[in-house]
Amino acid sequence: MTAGVQSAVLFPSRKRHAGGRGTRRSRRLHEGRWGAFLLSPALAVVICFVFAPIALTIWISFHNWSMLTPITQMPWVGLSNYRTIFDDPTFRSSLMDTVIYVGLVVALTVPLATLIGMLLYFPRNRLKGFASTALFATYVIPTVAVAIVWGALYEPSYGPLAEMFKAVGLPAPAFLSSPSTALVSLVAFNIWQMLGYYTVLMIAGLTQIPGELYEVASIDGAGVVRQTFSITLPLLRRTMTFVILIALINAVQVFDPVYLLTQGGPINSTDVISYEIQRTAFEYGLAGQASAMSVSLLVVLGAVAAILLGLMRERSR
Amino acid sequence: MSALGTASTKDLVAEDRSRTETPRRRRRRIHLSKMLISFAIGLVILFPLFPLYWLVISSLKSTHELLQAPPSWVPAHPSFGAFKEAFDAVPFAHSFFNSFAYAGTATVSVLVTSMMAGYVFSKYRFRGRDLLFWLIVATMFMPPIVTIIPLYWLISRLGLADSYLGVVLPWLANAFGIFLMRQFIGDLPDELIDAARIDGANELRILWRVVAPLMRPAVVTLGVFSFVYYWNNFLWPLTVLQTTSKYPVVLALYQLLSFNMSAQYENVVLAGALVASLPTIIVFLLAQRVFVQGIARVGVKG
Repeated sequence: MTAGVQSAVLFPSRKRHAGGRGTRRSRRLHEGRWGAFLLSPALAVVICFVFAPIALTIWISFHNWSMLTPITQMPWVGLSNYRTIFDDPTFRSSLMDTVIYVGLVVALTVPLATLIGMLLYFPRNRLKGFASTALFATYVIPTVAVAIVWGALYEPSYGPLAEMFKAVGLPAPAFLSSPSTALVSLVAFNIWQMLGYYTVLMIAGLTQIPGELYEVASIDGAGVVRQTFSITLPLLRRTMTFVILIALINAVQVFDPVYLLTQGGPINSTDVISYEIQRTAFEYGLAGQASAMSVSLLVVLGAVAAILLGLMRERSR
Repeated sequence: MSALGTASTKDLVAEDRSRTETPRRRRRRIHLSKMLISFAIGLVILFPLFPLYWLVISSLKSTHELLQAPPSWVPAHPSFGAFKEAFDAVPFAHSFFNSFAYAGTATVSVLVTSMMAGYVFSKYRFRGRDLLFWLIVATMFMPPIVTIIPLYWLISRLGLADSYLGVVLPWLANAFGIFLMRQFIGDLPDELIDAARIDGANELRILWRVVAPLMRPAVVTLGVFSFVYYWNNFLWPLTVLQTTSKYPVVLALYQLLSFNMSAQYENVVLAGALVASLPTIIVFLLAQRVFVQGIARVGVKG
């Protein structure tokens, strides 16, 4: 399968340079073969383990399948899986949980990353380097370990966060064990782990803003606040859109802490879509419905990504 | 903290004497803003470090001390007992070996396949090149859960469920690697490669002798990224593996967590979490300057 695709795709359409061996045609063929050879390992993996599974997911979503019977014998059910999942209150509440979770992550992360990015970029301070290293370091810690650490921090009776609440005279929330606070509590896991990464992207965006703009502005008497709103933020919009996109894609994938700590509960309050898909497929054996959920997720993400990328392109013009 | 501000404050004050403000007053204002900045940066440092501090001290506490309310902020009798228990409760040491095998194989393979593909996508011209490239890049935005069902089916069909190869096979190349390498190799001048071609070097030799040596930042960035990503990956090994002796560290940690659901072993679980995070933290600290710059560079262009 891959060989056919490659030879169709790889035929070189332009001669690269003068002074090569042989005729133009043999030169092209020579380059085409090298191209196919160099591209084939990566392309084979991507086709077999990414492209083909996407196509299969779409195909399975129109069938009834438990994953136990041969895939060739699954009965076609048309759109009925889609009808079933969108009629199902559990799936609808799982969509809602996902939207709230992703919304909170993006709404908190992007302003924080912008602010911290500016803090670690503009002023001179000896601790800046250390701060960015510490902030980024959480990114490399396994999500499973992050879940365990935050599980301990959230411990309602002897954890440090409950203790801090008590210290200022507030009743300590139940964090992960109450349906009203569990989802919000999970947001902290993601922010703690990813904030450094997004901050680095924001700093990279800040380095692209020409320094002369600030010089001119300060000669004109614009202060820090004015410079931030008239130069920094408008010129950072492209980077911000990009960070929103990455944060959104990353937050939608949340699975590990839910699987490890809350199992979707209490009372389905943390039943985010990744967890719901995994549970529907591997616990309930409803691969058709789980695939319909996956396809719906892909469609929504594709639309959101297209809008954000469109915004980015428009702004960069 | 105040010492940080003074040196450069003096210069600033000297420059701006002519302003209407008295030097003294201006100096105090700058001093204050410097302190505010230092304070804010202090908070930024505290945010990632406090949970890590809690992780370290909790794993050094005894079970008895861990269950105290209010909690102690410094362990009274630090001991490594919990670490020993973590290694006794689950085959932690073996799972380390497994994780190194999975993440190591995946990282080396991703580096090789991405460099080859990135070279073709940036330096070759053929019909459909950009379409194919952007199709691959688009899959970067796809949550892995979306393909988990057919992927599991495929690996089972190949007879690779519950095997080393089954875990690693889908990890041998990834879209991010191809994307990153295409960007970095694309920045190399074409003349460099053309010159090597005229000298009669074949493409593999050019890639290995001309391109690769100039790709150190890309290799470090992608290498660290892949190692961390595959070391930390939980969903896929959870899906393919049944035999505990093949578990990577994150699954051993999960095992530890489910064995010790009762609070009295929390120090053991936390000790496990600390140990499981060490390799990626060490790799990151060793490579951090190049890695962070690399990530930033990919971000700026992407």
